[in-house]
Amino acid sequence: MLAGPPPLAPPLKIANLAKSVPGGRLLFSNLALDMAPGEIVAIMGESGVGKSTLLNLIAGLDRADTGRIEIDGADLSTLDDDARTGLRRDRIGFVFQAFHILPHLTLAQNVALPLILARRPEAEALRAATVMLDQVGLSGRGQDFPAQVSGGEMQRIALARALVHRPALVLADEPTGNLDPQTADVILALLCDQLRASGAAAVIVTHSERAAAAADRVLTLTAHGLVAHGR
Amino acid sequence: MIPRRAFAGLLAANLILPAGRSQAQDRAGAPVFAPVRPGRPLSFPADHGAHPDFRTEWWYVTGWLQAQGQPIGFQITFFRIRTGADTRNPSAFAPTQVIFAHAAISDPAIGRLIHAQRIARAGFGLAQAKVGDMDLVLDDWRLRRAAGGVLKASAGDQAFALDLSLAPTQPPLLQGERGFSRKGPRPDQSSYYYSLPHLKVTGALTREGRRIPVTGEAWMDQEWSSTLLDARAVGWDWAGINLDGGGALTAFQVRDGKGAAVWAGGSLRRSDGRTTIFAPGDVRFVTRRQWRSPRTGARYPIARDIQVRTPGGPRVWRLEPLFDDQELDSRPIGPVYWEGAVRTEGGRGYLELTGYDAPLAL
Amino acid sequence: MVLGEWRAQPGRTLAAILAIAVGVGLGLAIHLVNRSALDEFAGAIRSVSGAADLQVQAASSAGFDEDLYPTLARLEGVATASPVVELRARTDRGEPLTVLGLDPLRAAAVTPNLLGGGAVGGGEGGVTTAEAVFDLDAITLSPAALQQSGLRVGDRVRLSAAGQSASFRIVGVLEGVSGDRALGVIDIAAAQWRFDQLGRLQRLDLRLSPGVDRSAVERLVQERLPPEAALVTPQSEMRRTESLSRAYRVNLQMLALVALLTGGFLVYSAQSLSVTRRRPQFALLRVLGLPARGMLGQVLIEGVVLGLAGAALGVVLGVALAELALRLLGGDLGGGYFSGGRPPLVFTPLAAAIIFGLGVAIAVLGSLFPALQAERIPAAVALKTGSGEGAETAGQPLPWISLGLLAAGGLAALGPPVGGVPLFGYGAIALILAGGVGAMPWLARGLLGPLRRLRAPPPPIALAIARLWGAPRQAAVALCGIVASTSLMVAMAVMVNSFRGSVEDWLIQILPADIYMRLDPGLTLDPEAQARLAAAPEAAAIEFRQSFNLRLSPDRPPVQVSARGQAGAGAGEGLPLVGRQVTPEGLPVWISEPMARLYDLSPGDRLTLPIGPGAQAQVTVAGVWRDYSNQFGALILDQAAYTRLTGDAGRAEAAMTLAPGVEPATAIEAFRARLPPLIAPGADFAEPREIRAVALRIFDRSFAVTYALEAIAILVGLAGVATTFSAQTLARRKEFGMLRHVGVRRGQIMQMLATEGALLGAIGALAGLTLGVVMSQVLIHVVNPQSFNWTMETRLPWPLLASLAVALVATSAGAAVLAGRGALADSAVRAVREDW
Repeated sequence: MLAGPPPLAPPLKIANLAKSVPGGRLLFSNLALDMAPGEIVAIMGESGVGKSTLLNLIAGLDRADTGRIEIDGADLSTLDDDARTGLRRDRIGFVFQAFHILPHLTLAQNVALPLILARRPEAEALRAATVMLDQVGLSGRGQDFPAQVSGGEMQRIALARALVHRPALVLADEPTGNLDPQTADVILALLCDQLRASGAAAVIVTHSERAAAAADRVLTLTAHGLVAHGR
Repeated sequence: MIPRRAFAGLLAANLILPAGRSQAQDRAGAPVFAPVRPGRPLSFPADHGAHPDFRTEWWYVTGWLQAQGQPIGFQITFFRIRTGADTRNPSAFAPTQVIFAHAAISDPAIGRLIHAQRIARAGFGLAQAKVGDMDLVLDDWRLRRAAGGVLKASAGDQAFALDLSLAPTQPPLLQGERGFSRKGPRPDQSSYYYSLPHLKVTGALTREGRRIPVTGEAWMDQEWSSTLLDARAVGWDWAGINLDGGGALTAFQVRDGKGAAVWAGGSLRRSDGRTTIFAPGDVRFVTRRQWRSPRTGARYPIARDIQVRTPGGPRVWRLEPLFDDQELDSRPIGPVYWEGAVRTEGGRGYLELTGYDAPLAL
Repeated sequence: MVLGEWRAQPGRTLAAILAIAVGVGLGLAIHLVNRSALDEFAGAIRSVSGAADLQVQAASSAGFDEDLYPTLARLEGVATASPVVELRARTDRGEPLTVLGLDPLRAAAVTPNLLGGGAVGGGEGGVTTAEAVFDLDAITLSPAALQQSGLRVGDRVRLSAAGQSASFRIVGVLEGVSGDRALGVIDIAAAQWRFDQLGRLQRLDLRLSPGVDRSAVERLVQERLPPEAALVTPQSEMRRTESLSRAYRVNLQMLALVALLTGGFLVYSAQSLSVTRRRPQFALLRVLGLPARGMLGQVLIEGVVLGLAGAALGVVLGVALAELALRLLGGDLGGGYFSGGRPPLVFTPLAAAIIFGLGVAIAVLGSLFPALQAERIPAAVALKTGSGEGAETAGQPLPWISLGLLAAGGLAALGPPVGGVPLFGYGAIALILAGGVGAMPWLARGLLGPLRRLRAPPPPIALAIARLWGAPRQAAVALCGIVASTSLMVAMAVMVNSFRGSVEDWLIQILPADIYMRLDPGLTLDPEAQARLAAAPEAAAIEFRQSFNLRLSPDRPPVQVSARGQAGAGAGEGLPLVGRQVTPEGLPVWISEPMARLYDLSPGDRLTLPIGPGAQAQVTVAGVWRDYSNQFGALILDQAAYTRLTGDAGRAEAAMTLAPGVEPATAIEAFRARLPPLIAPGADFAEPREIRAVALRIFDRSFAVTYALEAIAILVGLAGVATTFSAQTLARRKEFGMLRHVGVRRGQIMQMLATEGALLGAIGALAGLTLGVVMSQVLIHVVNPQSFNWTMETRLPWPLLASLAVALVATSAGAAVLAGRGALADSAVRAVREDW
């Protein structure tokens, strides 16, 4: 799969999606999104509008009220929890605002985590991780531990982890939210470069206009679905 | 003297008699007590010593002291009791003889008696009543006849201690028929009894660690017997008075339940040595005033007139106590009774009143 | 803020408080029960020795010459001396009782409680008792003796003692004698006469004059004592009792300390976790201007509050426990040291205060390291996101400090006892414990190292190993409590097991014959009676023995001397000898281990025994034998030599080997029939089987409470593991959230946690067992010999150790999984969110 051809099915297809919070307030409805392979979509919106919820729905970690989400051609509603977990493991990469790097694993181990979870041979996984670390600019740091790296470097590791298993789709939630503007720019550029290099599509939830500017398409999440940014 | 004998008898009743009773009459090894018979001449100094074959014996010293100008009454008493214990017991602890001693002072400044007592079975030299001459030992208490016939007495405890020399100034006064003294209607109710009146006292009274030199005049009785009071008796009264000028008055009565005299007796020795022995009809105790003990509730006739018939006609001595509360509670070893210093016109001595708290049933 | 933190972590805080409470409670309860029991015992001693200020006791039942009585009675400073004949007697139904022959008039001044009801002190109501005074036919019995014999006041009772028999009329009850002491009081003259004690006394009770210098009188008395009499004071008697039960008390107190220490480690766990969790909060406070000292202070204050709460709860718990224990088990907690009824609880505020303080101190100490940690939090780093819990420097943990502590512990174990207490031994245990717990991170890494090289383990297991290897200090925090409690428990268990095993072996070795006979004190068999007994066809061989107490040093309790050995065989034959033996030129004796240690004797040494003509028998130590029955020393010499030396041919004990095929019961009947009629009732026969069973039953009963306490301490330790694990697991919500995002199944996370838990449990068990076995060696080879002068051989209680290890692994895994369920109940969605 690692060396497989780019998938033909759209990496993400959302139709008629509605979600309300447990209290009953409707977050959004009638939401639709079609993504082309390799496309980078930035989603903006005010706080509390449900951006992260949308990401969780896409990741199969939350259930929508109505609507349909297809990832790489697979309809999430037809999959059980384990299957959705498998889908995440194999086809989705994640970048979090708070990095979420395991402190007790080496950088290489952290990056190799998706491959290890997919039960790839350890040597192969670590090789792939080393390659990824090279690509994100952390050559030779594979045996270091997270406590020894800076915030920017943490996010580089996170990027490497998100892409090491060649996912069809990368979900990034405020990937630069915890970084200073300079580092943010560098990371953002790196993210886009790597996405283009791997051919993965990406949904980036962000508040940052600069981050949004790097995307192919910028949408704003409203109660009535996604609308083109600026409108 | 009946009171002392009865007192010791009471002691025997409390401590020894049941054993004597249950074993004495019908078992081997029971002691045989020597009888008191008339006509046995007393001989001194041997009769100052103990007579262990008899059931009970006592040496009873009472008197008046002058301590820093103040009068204080005192008594030191040693009892010897032969128990009913099995005579075959070879143990050195065999309780065949028991020594009991008692000491008290009557200080008007205190207004009641201070007393101390000791008791032990004879043996090991720790408690003994010597035969042959007067020598009584009870732990650190002692009464003995020293050189020149002077009695040495020491007794007491932390509260007070008496350390006295008592020098005889007169020959012994033999009571009754030359020392054979009847105590009841039956002839066997009797004792051997002599007195040493007008003993000249020197020595010291130690009170709470302070040693006070004293002088004074005392009276000693020694009496031994094997028989007890008459069945009707509930108590007795006794008085021994050193009369000014050298005379000595002894009077006693044994009372029944109604307060009537079952027996009475006594003697009057004049300063010239002439002695009158009283028959039961010759002595009367008349009560002038009673005192009620706030502790026991007993009523004691503490102010008495002693009326006696003498060859020279009837005489009366008005006894007045040094102070009222001279009740002595010697429980649990002995009874509750009144034993106090009394004075009369032309004399001073001691009065003993027993059986007023509870009848002394024997 | 303190309260806020605790509200946030109620379980962990509660566990720490409870641990301290249990430690304080157990410590106090054991102390109180013991105090109460000792007070009761002292009361019992007082009721037998009366309220005597001083007591002179005979070294043996033969007593001393009665001339000592007037000698001491006349001494300056002695107010009254009360002579006593003291005999072991039996009723005709065979029940034993102590008969005291008293002079009631003397006893009234010294030991009034030994006189019935009112006696001489009883006033007009004492009719019954007054009759008892001087009545040579009368006996007054203690309530227990009366109950035991089933007799009533007025009945006659026949007693045999010292080979004589006499009948007495029961005239009263000794109300002043408490407990279940079977006691009868008769007149001293009757006792001397009826029981053949003429000229002899066994005891003199002395009352001193008020205000005299007690030690001066003691000196005067001491100067006048013959060798066969010894001065004892109620205090020295108490000391003897105390030392009897000291082994037991030391064990129990040690267990209480275990619980307390475990509590201390749990406080450390709780506080460490809490500090780690609050790193950002502390960092914020630092930034806002709180000085570093303030952090230290805050965490220490939290420790004090934890300690106060735990200790206060512990005092309440301790009193309740003590009351319960006294009610259920009696004053010796089942130890069998104090006979007597249930003593009333005696509360000692000072002891309570000390134990309370200890509890608080341990809580503060447990908070000290986390507090220092809080003080050192670098504000800038901590405030930055992403460096939450678990950020641990990956450097190799260094074991040097721990190794130093362990080495110091080893050295301390070589130290001598201090004032008869093995302080250095206990110090060694503490140092080893500290070193061992300190070495935990290093040990965890060392043990996990090989696991990391496992080829392609399933991902959850790989994650678990990686985490444990990467965060050994967290593992140590979780484990320190359980390692401490487990190791101390194991040390105790190994010691007790070794003790029991050695006692069992010793019982088998020391009791080789088929039947043992012992006569009541004062009874002996003369050679004729011995020959008659030996001629019994049921016996293949009979070894006659004579035992007596001998004072070798004025300031030590007497040594038990036993004359034994059959013709042709050495007296030392069949003894459980330890160490080297010599064949001396002179008269050989074999001494017990306590004696060898107390008197610093070894084989080949010569000593003088005060027996025989001139009391100058020269003997040589031929060997040392193991003895658990007498803490003050025992000595064995050849019985023929003993008779030669002393002229005493009488024997009061016998070891019988039966002819083949003879039933012990039949043989006992036959032997009893051959005894002189007056002696037969005073003869006790026993089979080694029974003796062993009784001895081991007493042993097990003594340690039953120990086991219960061990279980409690282990449970506290396990509870600590569970709460710490829960806390650590709950703190890893974000990690689980991330893992769920990147595609780890719920079940896999559970597997990971279970593996982590099991591995930690296994590490803890291994460390605890190892440390425990090391510490048990200190107990066995240092503490026990120094406290009780005996040694034992190590025996590991494998089943117990194995089940302990299994329990630990299971609890740890279980606790981790349970906590994981809680942590995963939150959706992964919220977990990764930036919300702290």
